[in-house]
Amino acid sequence: MEDRHGAEASGNSDSLKRSSLGETAHRAVSVAAELARSEHPESSDASSAAEREGTRSALCQAPSTWTQYKTLLAKDLKAEFRTKDMVVSMGIYAFLVIVVFGVALSFARPGAEFLEVSGGLLWALVVFTSLLGLNRSFAKETENGCLEGLLLAPLDRGVIFLAKATSNLVFLVLVEVIAVPLYWVFFSSFAAPAETGWLLVAPLVLGSIGIAGIGTMLSTITAATRGKDVMLALLFVPVIFPLLYACVSATTCALVGGDVFADGFLTSLALGAGYDVVMILASWVLYDFVVN
Amino acid sequence: MNPAITVEHLTKSFGGRKAVDNVSFTLPEGAFLSVFGPNGAGKTTLLRMLATLARPTEGVITLAGINLKEEPEQAREAIGLISHNPMLYPDLTAEENLLLYAKLYGVRDPQKRVVELLDAVGLKHRRLDRVRTFSRGMTQRVSIARVLVNDPSVVLLDEPYSGLDPHAMRIFDELIDSVRENRTFVMVSHDLDKGLALASHVLVLARGRVVHFGEKDQMSPGEFADLYRTTVGMGVS
Amino acid sequence: MTDKTLKLPEAGQWPDKLVAPALIAGAVLTTIGFLMAFFCVAPVGGATVNGAELIGDVMVSQKMLLSQKIFYFHMPVAITSFLALGFGCYYAVRFLMTKNRRFDTCSRICLEIALLFVVLTMITGEMWTRFEWGVWWSWEPRLTTYLILMLIVIAYFVLRSSVDEPERRATFAAVVAIIATIDVPICFMITRLIPSSIHPVVLREGGMSPEMGLCVGLCALGMLLVGFALYRARFNQVRLTQRVDAIKETLDDER
Repeated sequence: MEDRHGAEASGNSDSLKRSSLGETAHRAVSVAAELARSEHPESSDASSAAEREGTRSALCQAPSTWTQYKTLLAKDLKAEFRTKDMVVSMGIYAFLVIVVFGVALSFARPGAEFLEVSGGLLWALVVFTSLLGLNRSFAKETENGCLEGLLLAPLDRGVIFLAKATSNLVFLVLVEVIAVPLYWVFFSSFAAPAETGWLLVAPLVLGSIGIAGIGTMLSTITAATRGKDVMLALLFVPVIFPLLYACVSATTCALVGGDVFADGFLTSLALGAGYDVVMILASWVLYDFVVN
Repeated sequence: MNPAITVEHLTKSFGGRKAVDNVSFTLPEGAFLSVFGPNGAGKTTLLRMLATLARPTEGVITLAGINLKEEPEQAREAIGLISHNPMLYPDLTAEENLLLYAKLYGVRDPQKRVVELLDAVGLKHRRLDRVRTFSRGMTQRVSIARVLVNDPSVVLLDEPYSGLDPHAMRIFDELIDSVRENRTFVMVSHDLDKGLALASHVLVLARGRVVHFGEKDQMSPGEFADLYRTTVGMGVS
Repeated sequence: MTDKTLKLPEAGQWPDKLVAPALIAGAVLTTIGFLMAFFCVAPVGGATVNGAELIGDVMVSQKMLLSQKIFYFHMPVAITSFLALGFGCYYAVRFLMTKNRRFDTCSRICLEIALLFVVLTMITGEMWTRFEWGVWWSWEPRLTTYLILMLIVIAYFVLRSSVDEPERRATFAAVVAIIATIDVPICFMITRLIPSSIHPVVLREGGMSPEMGLCVGLCALGMLLVGFALYRARFNQVRLTQRVDAIKETLDDER
C-alpha cells in the first residue's frame, strides 16, 4: 500500500502506470538481475585491477582518502544547509547568552576596566554555544545507525574524525561571524577597544579549531552514553580549560592593547596553538578506538 | 568451490562472559546461511565480527581469502550489511545518500550506478525525495540499493524484516533473491520460516556455541523445527 | 573444565601479600615524617615572607610558621596523585592495545586512588592558601591545574557509570584517562607560562634545606606505600568480585 501512496504523493506520472504493487516488484527484480555480479558492463576494462585486488568489485577503484574526506564533509554541509537546525539553534542560543550578559552587566559602570572582562565574556559565549552545537552534531550520525554505515566503508577512521571536526569548525565559525559583531554592538557603549582589538580574530580562529577538534572526539564518546548533554559539558569544560585560558589571555591582550598586548599576545597564541596541535593529534590517534 | 567465509575457533569475550564461544564453520561461495538462536545467543555479535565492526578475542575469520584481522580495510570492500537500522541520513535524498556511499567506496561512475540501483529497487521516481519522508518498507529498499553500491561478494543481513509489513517483506525477499547470484549471504533472524525459506545452510547458536551447522537439505523443516525446539527453544517460547 | 577455570578472572597474586606490610610501613614512615616536620625541621625563612599585610603581629606569624608544616603532607600527596594518574594512563594504553579487561580494572583503580589523593591535595592546598594568602581560593597555576585534574577524574567516573556495555565503557574510559594525562601537564604549563600582567602569579623560591628534603622524602615514600597498598587491596577486592560474577555466569550456563 505504502508504495503506491508514496508515488502518488510525489506526483510522479509513473505511479499511474503501476496497476499493482506486484508489478513494481517484478520490474525491480528483472532490473536487479541485470545488475547481478556476473554481468558488469564495465568489467572488461577494469578486470585487471579487479584481479589484482581480489575483493574489490570491478565497479570500484581504490578510493582516495581526499575524495572520501570531501564526500563526508559535503554530506554534513549539505544536510545542515538543508535543515539549518544546528546553525540556527546555535545562533539563537548565542543571542540569548548575550541578552543574559546584558542583564548581568546592567549595573556595571562603563569604563576601560570593562575591556579586561570582555574577552572572558566573549569566550564564555563561544564555549556555551559550541557545547550546544557539539551535542547535536553527533546525534545526527547515530540517529539511523549512519555511523555504522560509514564504519563499514573502506575508510580510515581518522578521515571520519577530520571530516566531522571540519564541519563542526565551519558551523562554529559561521555562528561566530554573526555572534561576535553582535556582542560588540551590544557592549560597545562600555568601552572602546584598543587599536589592536581586531587581532582577536587570531585567538578566535585558534580556539575554534581546538574546540572543534577535541569537541568532536568528546561528542563521539558522549553520543553513546546516557545523559549525553551533561556528560559532554562535564568532559569538555575541564579538557578545554587550558586552551580557553590561553585564548582569553590573547583576546584580552588584543582588546586592552599597549604594554599588555606586547607582553602576552604572542605567547598566549603560541601556547594555544601548542595545545591545538597536541590535543588534535591525540584525538586523531585515539579516534580509532572510540568508534570501534 | 572456494570457501567464501571460513570461521575458525571464533571467540568473543570480555571478562568472564563469552558472547561467542569457539565457533567454526566454512561456507562455500554463493551459499545463504541463516543463523538462528534465542536472544543473547551471540548471533548479532557473530555478524558484527563478520562485518569488521567488532574484533574477535580469539580465532580467525577469512572472508573471500582475506584475513579480517590483518586486512580489515580490504575486506570491507567486499562486505555489505543490511540491518534494521537503514544507515541512511534522513535529511539527504535517496540519491544523495547512495552517492555518498558510492563515493566512499570509490565507485567509478557513481551517478550512473546510483540511478541504476534506485531503478532496480523501484524507487527511481522518488530519488530526489528526502529519506525522512519514506515509509519503512521504502527505506529498507533504499538500504538494499545502498548495500549493493559497492557490489559486495558477501552480504550480511541483521534482522532485516523487523518493522516490515508482509507486503514489504515479500518485495524484500524477491529483491534479495534477484541478487543472490555469485554472492554469499549470512542472515540473522528470529523468524524460523523466513530464514529457512531463503537458506542453503543453517547455523544454530545457543549461549555462544554452535548447536547445529549443516546444509538445509539434510533435514526437513519439521525435523529442523524439532531440533531447534529441543536444543535451544527450551527457554524461549 | 580445566580450560574454563583458567579463563576466570584471576585474583590474589603475590603482590597482595605486600598490602599489609606496605600499609603499615607507609603509615609509620608518614608518621615519622610528620613528627620530624614539627620537631626537627627548623621553620623555613622563605615561607614567611609573602603577604606582608598578613604578618601584622606575632600571633599571625606563628600561625604562618605552623601552616607551612602542611607542606610536608601536601607535597607527598600531590606526588602520589600524579603517579597514580600516570599509572592509570599507562594501564589505559595497555588496555587499548590488548583489550584485556584486567588492564581496564587496573586503570580504573589507579584513577580511584588518584581521585582520593587529588582530593587530599586540594584540601591541604586549601588550608595552605587560606593561611598564606588569606583567601579560600586563588587561581594560582598549581591550584587551577589540580582543580581541572579533579574535574576530569570526576568526569571519568561519571562517564563510566553512564555507559552500559562493558567493553565500550572500558574503551571510552581508557581514552578519557589518556586525554586527562595529556591535558593536565599542558594545563599547568599554560597557566604558568602566560605572562602575569593581567593577574599576578605568586612565584617563590622553592629551595629546600637537606633536613627538609629528608623529611619530605620520608613522607613521600610513606604516602607512595600507602597508595600502593590501597591500590592492591582495592584491586584484589574488585577482581574477586569479577571472579564471583564469572563463576555465577558459568553456573548459569551449565544449568
